[in-house]
Amino acid sequence: MGMERFTGPLEPAGECCWRIPKSYKPGMRVDGLIYANEALLEQIRDDQAPEQVANVAFLPGIQYASLAMPDIHWGYGFCIGGVAATDPEEGGVISPGGVGYDINCGVRLVRSNLQESDVKPHITRLVEELFRRIPTGAGQGGKYTFNDRELKQLMAEGPRWLIARGLATPGDIDHTEAQGCLEGAEPDYVSPRALERGRDQCGTLGSGNHFLEVQVVDEIFDEAAARAMHLARGMVCVMIHSGSRGLGYQVCDDALRALRGVPEKYGIVLPDRQLACAPVNSPEGQRYLGAMRAAANYAWCNRQLLMWQAREAFEAVLGTPWQQLQMNLVYDVAHNIAKFEEHEVEGRRRRVWVHRKGATRAFPPGHPEVPSMYRDIGQPVIIPGDMGRASWVLVGQSGSMAQTFGTACHGAGRVLSRTAAVKQAQGRRIDQELLNRGVVARARSWKGLAEEQPDAYKDVDLVVEVVHTAGLAAKVARMRPIGVIKG
Amino acid sequence: MFEVFEHTADLGLRVLAEDEPTLFADAARGLFSIMVANLDAVRPVCKKAFALQGSRRDELLFDWLSELLYVFETERLVLSQFRVALGAEDLQAEAWGEPLDATRHQLEHEVKAITYHGLVVEQTAQGWRAEVIVDI
Repeated sequence: MGMERFTGPLEPAGECCWRIPKSYKPGMRVDGLIYANEALLEQIRDDQAPEQVANVAFLPGIQYASLAMPDIHWGYGFCIGGVAATDPEEGGVISPGGVGYDINCGVRLVRSNLQESDVKPHITRLVEELFRRIPTGAGQGGKYTFNDRELKQLMAEGPRWLIARGLATPGDIDHTEAQGCLEGAEPDYVSPRALERGRDQCGTLGSGNHFLEVQVVDEIFDEAAARAMHLARGMVCVMIHSGSRGLGYQVCDDALRALRGVPEKYGIVLPDRQLACAPVNSPEGQRYLGAMRAAANYAWCNRQLLMWQAREAFEAVLGTPWQQLQMNLVYDVAHNIAKFEEHEVEGRRRRVWVHRKGATRAFPPGHPEVPSMYRDIGQPVIIPGDMGRASWVLVGQSGSMAQTFGTACHGAGRVLSRTAAVKQAQGRRIDQELLNRGVVARARSWKGLAEEQPDAYKDVDLVVEVVHTAGLAAKVARMRPIGVIKG
Repeated sequence: MFEVFEHTADLGLRVLAEDEPTLFADAARGLFSIMVANLDAVRPVCKKAFALQGSRRDELLFDWLSELLYVFETERLVLSQFRVALGAEDLQAEAWGEPLDATRHQLEHEVKAITYHGLVVEQTAQGWRAEVIVDI
């Protein structure tokens, strides 16, 4: 298998939308729909991601279409940027590959009352302090360790459990998707291996595309929405991207192993083994859902503890308590998750399992699941870009409910493979190049920075433009990085 | 022998060998080479034994690599030399390496998991070939 170009059909299907008709492959139950403009579409054709959109359309019970966001790229099983909703009443399935190994990988944005000029003189020290305090890189353990009993409580309750330990505030919980706790979590379904991997990894960043960035709000596009989020031009923010660490990877791995032979048992034909699935209403499906929700709650605790350590680093460098710096959580949103939600499909209200694999929920104003402080503006959608250019905050729009099961993109999306990015970086100092662009970067390895260099990603501004134009989410603020730590 | 091949977001590992035990041993070395930069500097000071069951060769390769990942992460053990014996439905292996030492071992990628996407173990005219994509 290699990086082959997709040569199948991609027909125009409306504003920034392209169709792979279900006639493309026998076995597709619905069309594939990819959101992109023409420039992005050319990049999207460069690998096998569109083929994966077509493959996902095989899943039993899939509703409306197999969808992909403009940051789509080749994944394993599902493409990254993929969205699929299945109806349990029509034999709908749950697929661990539609959530991914990094269950509830997601992003959170923290604001402050600091201006760029307050932080700029200390930025190198601040980045070094963040890098010293926050464990990054492969398999790194951290300062928080939990025994099995504590881990199970943490997975049952999410970050709310950290309040009594002085590691979270009620305000943090209110600004987290689902208040950081999916109901129906079954910590007892999480294997001893997963517990062992998760014991000392809560509050660690990991590697790959995970990061912690110090950013400055560069431009505001929607004053009212920005005010509701207490964001203003020139403000210093912190963005955190990580997930459920080894615990979540192991939960997914365990589930895929348990699903060996299960699709065949239920008569499900799949074009890719990584799409392994089970009916939602089956013992295998329910077991995965219980464990997946527990891992999702662990991930919210991980990002909570990462934020807590970032607050401590700011306190240490600036000599002011984080409360006085008003380092409050704006929002935390998952982008690798499956959730049971109500949507209108072909004129009928249905409860469906929405798989979002590298895609962000983007509920519009007025939706009951949007927390009350954001109910009038819509759910904040946080879109990390790359470490040289920009990241974005958007708010969900009604178009997302009509078109994409309440979903928008999750990032810029890769355009270079990891190996190609390393080749391009030969003989270069990516950290120096970033410094020349005003970004202080610290990473565990040269290769880590090389693979994640800005040129490895699509231009996030183009990706955001597509979801904005298609009415999925509206632009609120653009941030540029000034400091970054990576694995 | 092994090589890393292109995948947009993750990494692919391609292994070619004369026989199946070498294929499995080289795949293990390939996996560790993705995680640790200077594998040749790893000293074979401790030994670890493995025993796995499985009727399908591709799933056995998957389980073998997953097992190594688990050992690396939970025991912080960097393994660099492998001896593998394969039966009809089982794998017995010995591996040598040393505890991870941040001052001497340069960590590179965190491999989140081994995936089934494009997983291949097959016999070719020259011997054996395996491909596996790992999630980064």
